[in-house]
Amino acid sequence: MPNYVRDFVFVLLPLLVLLGVLPFFYRNELLLFNFTIYFALAQGLNVIYGFTGYLPFGYVGFFGVGAYGFALAIIHLTTSPALALAIAGLAALVLGVILIPLLRLSGAYFAIANLAAAQAVYHIVSNPDLQDITKGPYGVSLANVFAPRLSYYSALAITALASVVVIWFRNSRFGLALQAIRDDSLSAAMAGIPVVRQRTIAWLLSALIAGLTGGVFAWHISVFYPETAFDISISIFALVFALFGGATTLLGPVIGVLLLYGLYNLIGITIPQYFQLIYGILIVVLVLFLPQGIVSLVSRRGIRVP
Amino acid sequence: MIVHAVMAGLVFGCYFTLVGIGLNLIFGVMRIVNLAHGDFLMLGAFAAFWLYTLLHWHPLFSALAIVIGFGFLGLALYYLFVPRLQAARDAEMLSIILFFGVQQFIEALASIAFGSSERSLPGAILGRGPVRLFGQAMPAAWIFSGAISLLTVALVYVYLYRMRIGILTRAVMVNREEALAAGINVDRISAIAFGIGLGLAGLSGVFAPFMLGSVTPAIGGDINLSAFAVTVLGTLGNPLGTAVGGVIFGISMMLMQTYLSSWANLLPNLLLIGVLLIRPTGLFGRETRRA
Amino acid sequence: MQAEGLVAEEIEAGYGKVQVLWGISASVASGESVVLLGANGAGKTTLLRVLIGLLPARQGRIWLNGEEITHARPDRRVRSGLAYMSELGVFGGLTIEENLLIGGQFLPAARLRRSMAKLYEIFPVLAERRRALASSLSGGERKMLGIAKALAAEPKVLMMDEPSAGLSPLFVSEVVRTLKQLREGALAMLIAEQNIAFLDLADRVYTLEGGRVRFEGTVAAMHADNALHRSYFGLS
Repeated sequence: MPNYVRDFVFVLLPLLVLLGVLPFFYRNELLLFNFTIYFALAQGLNVIYGFTGYLPFGYVGFFGVGAYGFALAIIHLTTSPALALAIAGLAALVLGVILIPLLRLSGAYFAIANLAAAQAVYHIVSNPDLQDITKGPYGVSLANVFAPRLSYYSALAITALASVVVIWFRNSRFGLALQAIRDDSLSAAMAGIPVVRQRTIAWLLSALIAGLTGGVFAWHISVFYPETAFDISISIFALVFALFGGATTLLGPVIGVLLLYGLYNLIGITIPQYFQLIYGILIVVLVLFLPQGIVSLVSRRGIRVP
Repeated sequence: MIVHAVMAGLVFGCYFTLVGIGLNLIFGVMRIVNLAHGDFLMLGAFAAFWLYTLLHWHPLFSALAIVIGFGFLGLALYYLFVPRLQAARDAEMLSIILFFGVQQFIEALASIAFGSSERSLPGAILGRGPVRLFGQAMPAAWIFSGAISLLTVALVYVYLYRMRIGILTRAVMVNREEALAAGINVDRISAIAFGIGLGLAGLSGVFAPFMLGSVTPAIGGDINLSAFAVTVLGTLGNPLGTAVGGVIFGISMMLMQTYLSSWANLLPNLLLIGVLLIRPTGLFGRETRRA
Repeated sequence: MQAEGLVAEEIEAGYGKVQVLWGISASVASGESVVLLGANGAGKTTLLRVLIGLLPARQGRIWLNGEEITHARPDRRVRSGLAYMSELGVFGGLTIEENLLIGGQFLPAARLRRSMAKLYEIFPVLAERRRALASSLSGGERKMLGIAKALAAEPKVLMMDEPSAGLSPLFVSEVVRTLKQLREGALAMLIAEQNIAFLDLADRVYTLEGGRVRFEGTVAAMHADNALHRSYFGLS
């Protein structure tokens, strides 16, 4: 069985089936929805961080732009949710294209610039001067298209899309080339890999995933504010979930979301500070002792982790 | 009005230099991004607040205590994290994530300990009434904080350029491997630089209530962005370039607040992105970027 | 074990899974000049990096003046009288004076001043421009500064990695001339080179190939070995 089939059958399929049937047995649909979008975001971030090494601290920028793209399409253009979702993805792609020059930056510079970019978009969207267009800091309401079931399954579809991209990257020459670029961009360029084009494709795919996720988020929760959609902790959660499980793998982010977001929902909802405290310690310990994530406990023994 | 904005910008520029210089020193010496810089500043602000509220310590007095206390905290944190971090393959990137964890930890601890309400100190502690500087009236607290900032930056200069240990520190900044080969105890130099970096963060926190308004445990993130904007403007890894970055930042902030106040909070972000895109290595950086 | 000088015994070292040095034994005694001759990739730089402590030895032991330093930190080794000039040699962003100061960082202030004054006498080019940045110097001057910086600590053993690298033949002979002046006295020199011009200095030679010592002996003995002679001096 080829590796990509194995990845699909043993990891993605069970996850999709589980998330697909759970709403029929479990009443807290919002919780399931949140899990689903974090699966999508963690994989989307994995696409860019895991395979190219760029650390997108401002990943939430694409998510927020997607959420607002969706909302403004509904409000101003009164489109159908499906079309609005496409506009959400498009909006994130546009932001992704605008930010392509950031890819010239390396290491810390990229991470910081990306964070600043996300913040800048947030400040623009939430600016009271733009109230006529974005509703400024007062938030948007999309009660007329509210469709919890449909938006939930759309989120699931986006998770599937993000995971398929990761499976493709892991098992194709394209993905291998990306990793070669990550490890040594100069040598990769000399080996004839079109470095700039390949990393741009990964960047835009990653942006698209976050934009679509943001759109479906807007659709599902239907009332939100700029600081909800551009909450920096969304970036951070996605990043830490991916890292904790193990970036560059399909299974890693899944494990990360299950364990950490599970933990968050056990203690974080009631006393967020205590969760933040544990979370902070966890990140430090992770970086110091398990920088390759949980899956590295297995993969360092030479076993292939999906 | 424009003269006033520029003058106030200069005063704030001195202060923002102080905010950024510790971050830059640590990056310059260790190639480590202390993403918790703004949170150490926040801790400094709270320390000054409590020292004043409970013990009636003058901020100048608490500043001294805080520099020393935070310096030792920095030494401890250095040995706890940095050598292990630097052994990793991509230390710079991992440092961002690690110190993000530290940031979360500090923020959580501070909000558990202090609650989320805003704390501030009356500017009158540092001097009454407006002070005229080149014909421009400004709150005495601004002038006081700006002067202390200027003095501190001058001391950092003396340390780096006039003292033997500072020259060794700059050697490590120029080339870590070469510094090791020249027999410099890079570990010790780095630990001291880390201590100074945190001490400077704490010190800038002492004056935050006067310059930035009231403080809450959550201000760290925003201050980080300003600190990064200042350091990147003045070249990451070049502590004295920070002074230029600080002044540019301070003046443009004051101009924005005077003429375009509703967009003022966009400034640090746009400055950061703009400078990075035009000159990725900062205004005074050498071209060292890899492909 | 000889008391004065540097002794390395059965050194093995490498980077990651790649082993570079395969049991190298070499020594340089007080007052002696030794040249490590070898092509690029023979392991010269790696050996010097192990000796100064930038790279750990996986096997073998190192002594400096009779004291074992196999596991000592680089700064301890420098303090005990070992000096190392890398191929780069200087801190470009620092002034000439600061470079010398770094070289002599372990000396007490008065002795450091004397040491620097002496170096400015030997290298008048540097004396004229002590406040200039090292990066503003020419390639040859930079090598001089590198040598001066290494000497500032008044070392017992001076190790140099390719002092000829990047220099035109004219400057190479100038460097060789300078080093000849330094041979008088008790200073031990270990020079890693591929340029045979440095053999003029050598009391003894080691040739390195593939991380192993192929030949050890005097320059005269080297000339006597036909195969060696051909590979290093050509057919002349």
